[in-house]
Amino acid sequence: MNRKKIYSNWFMVPAMAVFTIFFLLPMVISLFFSLTVWDFHSFTFCGFDNFKTFFSDSSLYSSIKNTMIYAVLTCVLKLFLAFFLAVFLTSKIKTKNFLRSVVFFPNLISTVAVGITFCALMHPSKGLINHVIELFGGNGMDWLGNTHTALYAVILTDVWKGVGVATVIFIAGMQSIDKTFYEAASIDGANAWQSLKAITVPLSRPAMNSVIILSFIGGLRTFELIWAMTGGGPGYATEVMASTVYKQYAAGYYGLSTAGNVIMFILIAILAFPLQKFLLSKEVD
Amino acid sequence: MKKRVVAVFMSAVFATGLIAGCSGSGDTDGAEKKDKDKDVTELSLLVDTANASTAGFEAVAKLAEEKLGIKVNVETRPGGTEGDNIVKTRLASGDMADLCVYNSGSLLNAINPKEYFIDISGEEFADRLDDSYKEAVSVGDAVYGVPYQSSQAEAIMYSKPMYEKYGLDVPKTWDEFLANCDVLKEAGETAILGTFGDAWTAQIPFLGDAYNLETNAPDFAEKFDAGEAKWATTPEALRSFEKLADTTPYYNEDYLATTYDDGCDMMANGEAGHWFILSKALTNIYDLYGDKVNDIGIFGMPGDDAANNGITLWYPVAIYGNKNSEKQEAILDFMEFYISDEALDAYTEAALPAGPYCVKGYELPSESYDAVAQDIQSYLDSGKTAPALEYISQVKGADCPTICQELGSGQTTAKEAAEKYDKDCEKQATQLGLKW
Repeated sequence: MNRKKIYSNWFMVPAMAVFTIFFLLPMVISLFFSLTVWDFHSFTFCGFDNFKTFFSDSSLYSSIKNTMIYAVLTCVLKLFLAFFLAVFLTSKIKTKNFLRSVVFFPNLISTVAVGITFCALMHPSKGLINHVIELFGGNGMDWLGNTHTALYAVILTDVWKGVGVATVIFIAGMQSIDKTFYEAASIDGANAWQSLKAITVPLSRPAMNSVIILSFIGGLRTFELIWAMTGGGPGYATEVMASTVYKQYAAGYYGLSTAGNVIMFILIAILAFPLQKFLLSKEVD
Repeated sequence: MKKRVVAVFMSAVFATGLIAGCSGSGDTDGAEKKDKDKDVTELSLLVDTANASTAGFEAVAKLAEEKLGIKVNVETRPGGTEGDNIVKTRLASGDMADLCVYNSGSLLNAINPKEYFIDISGEEFADRLDDSYKEAVSVGDAVYGVPYQSSQAEAIMYSKPMYEKYGLDVPKTWDEFLANCDVLKEAGETAILGTFGDAWTAQIPFLGDAYNLETNAPDFAEKFDAGEAKWATTPEALRSFEKLADTTPYYNEDYLATTYDDGCDMMANGEAGHWFILSKALTNIYDLYGDKVNDIGIFGMPGDDAANNGITLWYPVAIYGNKNSEKQEAILDFMEFYISDEALDAYTEAALPAGPYCVKGYELPSESYDAVAQDIQSYLDSGKTAPALEYISQVKGADCPTICQELGSGQTTAKEAAEKYDKDCEKQATQLGLKW
């Protein structure tokens, strides 16, 4: 690729300026402030004390654990659900367009609104979900109040909301698969399952990778839904990294919360880059 | 060449847009100045939604407009963590309203008031403040705020009809209290109403024990601030956490989802025996259910000594004046007016107090809810009251609600919670620059 450059490097200036001012610079500044105790006016340098405090905090470990559970589960569930939804929605059904809209619809609502709504639906004594369960003779439960189910209740809500985007990405990927593959396969006598396994899955790999990366990183950074539904509670049962950091910030521990952000950034980078590399290496043309 | 002309033109358009956008706020300033000429000064006031638009405040604000020509425009903010966040951010970015309603006590200490609020220690009206309240709105020698409303009891509400039905007496010791709860529980009633859906209410059993803590270990606050005493290693302090842990078996089934608002409904309708809460709930219940409020009585958190029963007082949030506002004079006038007898009378007429005012020489009116006029007043008469610890100590951990919610729902032990809270307080001490 040694073609002569058509465009001047100066074209990069606006983008680079924005990138530097709004991304690189704040990152360097936050690295600095994570080493201080500061209150917007003055700061005292404290070395790695903030990081020490963070790592000696038992709630940090449970929040990292919860974040991982959250990211992995939402990612896997979205992947499988979206894949089969997409297969269904690219098949020859009459209400295709309508159903596609229905699947995508939850994504149009603000996350906080979704959180508040589901919080009301999952209310142990007044919620619709428990009323329905009781109608069929079951015993309702305290979805968000029980420490063992709270996180999973939020995860299911996240999947409900996020599966639409994943489905749309899959649909786009599947539609770009050449129809002749399927024709050839059916001539060779492949049944639906075989052509799904041998054609659809490998050829929608790029779409699958996008879905995995997007929903995994989205899961790692999750905040709004947790905050709207449980506020990290009961106790620390659904605390994730972002909510821990936010709480430190709201409490006025700016240095500490900046350190938390740095930790979170490093963790996400450590997990996301190798994942992406691995997934891309598996892609076929 | 043509392209260049277009480019220059486009830049000009964007630049104009930017300038126009930025100058937007300047215009409103102009409008405010115009109002000044008409002898009406407008002050903005930032207050959390739970305290906004109380009938008492509205009455005083109306009076202030008539008498002083000061019109207060209320801006609301959420309470809890979000509220703290908004206050701190607006202070730091220089965007604070003229008047700010915020906690007194150690939480005030944590927002660095020296930088942002007007010191009123030199003003005459500051002498009207009750001494221990003055302490709670002071940092060092500087005094910053005037009480926004009456103080409250941080105590246990109980349902009088339920006490009559089961033949119970107001408990004198913690064990008696638990025995009462057992009776109610066995009878299938909700012994203690839990409203942990609003995490701040989970702190009340812990914070409300301050009277007992302060009488049993009078030097705890001082030693704690000095970093010498810890919650987990001081038996009297740990006792407060243990009491919270004791309450776990008695809550209503959906207590983790029940909110403060739900709680007011349930308490008013006699659906629960006890509720650990601030006495402002009486005002809310009165607004909703009228005279049913008198079915509710209040007693202080019982200690282990039957002879010494006292009640913990929760000091009101305060109004602070923005140091960087241009309307210093109007702000001070309003603050002075707000705690004048005239204003307090107007306040009381519009809303019955939930506890004593923090103003010297202003008596609690005899006409109030039974729980205030009889129960709380009897503690005041015998002098058996103490302010909550955060009005004496400088340090309150920010994660207190979560730690208490976790303990109250039985996920941790009292000891673990105390240790967690110690760590949490240590963060605050570091931020405040205390050497621990």
